[in-house]
Amino acid sequence: MAKLDVKPTRMELLNLKKRLKSAKRGHKLLKDKQDGLMQKFMEIIREAKVMRREVEEKLGGAFKNFMFASSMMDPAMLETALLYPSAKMELEVTTKNVMSVHIPYFKIKQEGDILNYGYLQTSAELDMALKSFQDVFPLLMKLAEIEKQAERLAEELETTRRRVNALEYKMIPDLTETLKFISMKLAEQERSTIVGVMAIKAMIEAAEEMKMREKA
Amino acid sequence: MDKFKTAIVGNKDTILGFKALGLETHDSNTGEEATAKLFELKKKEIVIDSKTGETRPAYAVIFITEDLAMKISDEDYKKLSENALPAIVPVPGSKGTSGYGLKRIGKMVERAVGSDIFGDQ
Repeated sequence: MAKLDVKPTRMELLNLKKRLKSAKRGHKLLKDKQDGLMQKFMEIIREAKVMRREVEEKLGGAFKNFMFASSMMDPAMLETALLYPSAKMELEVTTKNVMSVHIPYFKIKQEGDILNYGYLQTSAELDMALKSFQDVFPLLMKLAEIEKQAERLAEELETTRRRVNALEYKMIPDLTETLKFISMKLAEQERSTIVGVMAIKAMIEAAEEMKMREKA
Repeated sequence: MDKFKTAIVGNKDTILGFKALGLETHDSNTGEEATAKLFELKKKEIVIDSKTGETRPAYAVIFITEDLAMKISDEDYKKLSENALPAIVPVPGSKGTSGYGLKRIGKMVERAVGSDIFGDQ
């Protein structure tokens, strides 16, 4: 810990005391914020992990279906079949404020039929594959929502943690040490003034005694 | 309520299926291509208030296949993920999962807590 570079005066002492007080208050508040964020983060990250596993499994299945479907069809046909989808997807986003972090919530609205092609040149497997994609999709959106929330919270937690640590291990010890240094220095000055006064008084008394003796 | 768009970036064959669901699809085959695409999509904005000129991102969610997500450099990734929207989410490609998604969650935990406390689970 290094003491701050300030002049040891009474004025500085008062200022530093004020700063220490607000630093301690800030530290307490930030610590509370960190705890609040951490609670929410843990909740979300656990859910995210479960979701992620589930989605990866299901999506793997959907891709497999799609692969089968595409292997059975002429690539050009497949592409034309999917060229103009009639299904529309709209997304509504709302945000919620958790400990001053805005986290997003998504809501999807799907319209139209995903099976929007002629049946003649497409295989039944394609229908199935697209159906399975459609089934996974809400989960996928949910995962996106949760992961983004987790990401936002992680970011905020990182900065909060840094701030808390900076206050706890740097600001507050530095301030306390400087305060101690200034109060010691001031006490030392006080003592040295008293000693000085006493010495001068003794000198004056000695000089007066000499004069008295000379007269006598 | 505001309407947002959703997009997916990845290999053409992989993302074709999503097209039918109504997602916007963007072909990319290399990491650099995908990174450039993501930046481009992130930059797109819609003016929500013509008086004040207030804008918001056009895309809320951008999916990207894992194999491409892995090739994005950490620096670019940080820049891409810094705002509230869009959410950029890696999804396993047609080759199946590589564990990248779970690793990403582990990284988040590490960032927030200081160490990956769920690492071995």
